Amino acid sequence: MKKISWQRLAVVAAIVPMLALSACSSSGGRPADTGGSNGGKVATTPSIKIALITHAAPGDTFWDIVRKGAQEAATKDNVDLLYTSDPDGGRQAQLVQQAIDQKVAGIAVTLAKPDALKAVLKKAEDAGIPVVSLNSGEDVFKSVGAFTHFGSDENVAGAAVGTRLAEEGVTHPLCVIQEQGNVALEARCAGVKTKVPGTEILYVQGTDMTQVASTVTAKLQSTPGADAIIGLGAPFTATIVKAVGALNLAAKVKVASFDLSGELIQSIIDGKVQFTVDQQPWLQGYDSIDALWQYYRGGFMVGGGLPVLTGPAIIDKTNAPAVLKFAKEGIR
Amino acid sequence: MTANDMNSNETAKHAAGPTGTGPTIDQETLLQNETDPLTHTPVHLMELEGVGKHYGNIIALTEVTMAVDMGRVTCVLGDNGAGKSTLIKIIAGLHQHDEGTFKIMGQERKLTSPREALDSGIAAVYQDLAVVGLMPIWRNFFLGSEITTGRGPFRRLDVKAMKEITKNELADMGIDLRDVEQPIGQLSGGERQCVAIARAVHFGAKALILDEPTAALGVKQSGVVLRYILQARDRGLGVIFITHNPHHAFPVGDRFLLLKRGKSIGYYDKKDITLDELTAQMAGGAELAELAHELEALGSHGDLAQELEAEVAETAGQLPH
Amino acid sequence: MTTLLKPPPALDERVGKRGMVSNLLGRPEIGALVGAIVLFIFFSIVAPVFLQANSFATVLYGSSTIGIMAVGVALLMIGGEFDLSAGVAVISSALTASLFSWYFSVNVWVGVGLALVVSLAIGFVNGWILMKTKLPSFIVTLATFLMLTGLNLALTRLIGGSVATPSIATMDGFASAQAVFANDFTIAGVDLKSPVFIWIILVAITSWLLLRTRVGNWIFAVGGDENAARAVGVPVKWTKIGLFMGVGFCGWVLGMHNLFAFDAVQSGEGIGNEFLYIIAAVIGGCLLTGGYGSAIGGAIGAFIFGMANKGIVYAQWNPDWFKFFLGLMLLLATIVNLIVKRRADSK
Repeated sequence: MKKISWQRLAVVAAIVPMLALSACSSSGGRPADTGGSNGGKVATTPSIKIALITHAAPGDTFWDIVRKGAQEAATKDNVDLLYTSDPDGGRQAQLVQQAIDQKVAGIAVTLAKPDALKAVLKKAEDAGIPVVSLNSGEDVFKSVGAFTHFGSDENVAGAAVGTRLAEEGVTHPLCVIQEQGNVALEARCAGVKTKVPGTEILYVQGTDMTQVASTVTAKLQSTPGADAIIGLGAPFTATIVKAVGALNLAAKVKVASFDLSGELIQSIIDGKVQFTVDQQPWLQGYDSIDALWQYYRGGFMVGGGLPVLTGPAIIDKTNAPAVLKFAKEGIR
Repeated sequence: MTANDMNSNETAKHAAGPTGTGPTIDQETLLQNETDPLTHTPVHLMELEGVGKHYGNIIALTEVTMAVDMGRVTCVLGDNGAGKSTLIKIIAGLHQHDEGTFKIMGQERKLTSPREALDSGIAAVYQDLAVVGLMPIWRNFFLGSEITTGRGPFRRLDVKAMKEITKNELADMGIDLRDVEQPIGQLSGGERQCVAIARAVHFGAKALILDEPTAALGVKQSGVVLRYILQARDRGLGVIFITHNPHHAFPVGDRFLLLKRGKSIGYYDKKDITLDELTAQMAGGAELAELAHELEALGSHGDLAQELEAEVAETAGQLPH
Repeated sequence: MTTLLKPPPALDERVGKRGMVSNLLGRPEIGALVGAIVLFIFFSIVAPVFLQANSFATVLYGSSTIGIMAVGVALLMIGGEFDLSAGVAVISSALTASLFSWYFSVNVWVGVGLALVVSLAIGFVNGWILMKTKLPSFIVTLATFLMLTGLNLALTRLIGGSVATPSIATMDGFASAQAVFANDFTIAGVDLKSPVFIWIILVAITSWLLLRTRVGNWIFAVGGDENAARAVGVPVKWTKIGLFMGVGFCGWVLGMHNLFAFDAVQSGEGIGNEFLYIIAAVIGGCLLTGGYGSAIGGAIGAFIFGMANKGIVYAQWNPDWFKFFLGLMLLLATIVNLIVKRRADSK
């Protein structure tokens, strides 16, 4: 009898607040109308199949935007987009093979691990499938048979951040890498360091946001000379902003970032983040698919054998409000 | 129980050691079909008549008749695969018999779960003892039946009471432990067996099933366990002692049920059988002879064959006719 | 002969030999405690900033986010099981709360309540499948780990249209939920975050549960010898299911902290953290085979992790060595644990 009454109490304790609070939230939440971005006309060319194969790990905001760009180009160009991804080089090569097996009309591929993909891209070339590369691999795209590359050089982007920080008088920035051993992230920090020699690298465990927060806090506490901190991804920058705020260092430590998100732009508008460098991932996805479509439309080959740079673009207080709308839409 | 009683028991136990020379238990009262010595009603604590059990078309047990009384030890002897474990499972409520009758206190029963068996006062102490080696003795003693104080979410273990009861119960069984906080795994095999027995006694067992308690033990430890079996008997429990060793069974047993291939091959009162006869029945003289012959024919293992032959010669004349 | 069976005196004189010190050495968490003290002294020497109150609060915070889960996981390991889905389940819980509140535009507390139900349900399903199938928990929870990872990604994209949840910072109830799960308390000039307090409270409650209640007795028993426990009437099935639900509860607490501390949750997070929780529990003296360990041990294990993780930053060491150093630390702590325990047992 006693047992049952305790259970009842627990049930009541759980349900009552839920009922009491089930009133709608007056602010925030899902917008009533998400709006359509695909209102444009669809091309009259015959439908073709194009594969976009990336090395994205699941659950990364950046690749979400690349995919959105690709999807929009596909919709506009009457293209059936097949999106797949695998961070493992060998498995990414298998995905390329599968695309060849499906007789796609074109392949857009990221060349994070070009050696793993070399052989299978040769097969695509032999099968007469046009290939473009995007995001990573601007120095190797020609050798694996891609006719052009869409991307932003990480080192150049890093240097852009470094230049901007140097202009603001920063001498001792912390560059927070969320994945130790990631070449692209290391290149960003290395780029910063070419312009600001005092740059110090801090490694955090990106899969656990609480560890990011506590490690950044620890580093800031132990490095009184730090005058700036750089997050290499929008969600990490958001966490860094909170850590800086909690330590009351906002006046002393400037925050800079790479990549974009709606929240990040809001932080730039609010002055919590100085600026961010965007490699415009949406363009990488859009342009890759569009370039392949153009190849079929008129035998065009964009780029003239050189890579097409999609960035870096610096976003600061001056242009942030203009970008905000697009970021909220998920394309910046 | 007074100290004097305990001392006299001690003497009895020693005389009835594993060597089996001249037991001094009063045998005059151990007549077949006696009345219950405590309740004086003409029933047995437990009685099996023509009990059988089959799994599918495999007959595991058939035509088993035996009785258990308070203050008496009934031994079930048999080799591996003789049906001993099936018999225990029926009595302990793990399996149900499908032939014959099983009476508890004169009432016909079919136990459907170990819980029901426990509620009827039947506790089984299995070979693995159902103790958790890493846990302290007192926690093991009360595991599953903990004493608590307090109410609602503040209901907590009454550690002090449990430790004290454990110590006293074990002392009553004649087990002298230095620290009930010790993990039970640190005790010797015999001592662990005794804790399990003491636990069954404390939680109101009227009948105690001991499944091969001496199987894994050395000579000295076995002697210790046999003493505790007598201790339990003297506290008025009906004990079912399952073993394959007649040297362990004979000194402590009052009745002996011999099983072979699921069948009863003999049910004796102590006064009707000697240790040598029991051993001979257990060993199965005819089979041994056959085995020795076969080995000799093979020409190998000469030593083993000779050994067997010697054993056959020893047991041949001792089978009861 | 008659002297053999003397009634024992009320207090055995031999008990005295196993005194306070060896009693302490017999505790499961002693190795971890020694390791923690050594590590603390070590970092205090090499990195003086480590000793500042605020730095220490940071170390505590870093420890607490591992420690909250380590408490549940330690109990589960004492009960003889693993939960490889624990890391991802934290994120599942946070995603549930965030996406539900956002999608239906309701007060976030409704989402928080639903997340608790979901977290407990994940634990229940883990335990129930385990008890029904009798498969090793390693396999069962590996399966749920993969399923949850997929669900996290797929449902987040399906509902929110992105791989990260939209920020719910402006929604009703957010401020009050943040005050509970992700608050900053300033005590005597030291900033302490709410998970630190939640962690300490959890450790206290579970320690009491483990050592002083029937359920605690059952947890040790099901981990030490499941069959023996069943034979004496311990509800093995419900004890184990309850332990998995306990891990689910801890996951909910940490998931809510993640959500309200960072406003938004990324669906790919949490992978790999399950091992940190198990490591913390093992450093803290839990046996991998079950039946032995303590809640405080798991907490000390998490504290060791926090000190090593943050201490390296305070000491300004080359971060390339961090993983190596962490591994070495784990090895040493467990070896110390082993040696101390052997010595205590042989006494």
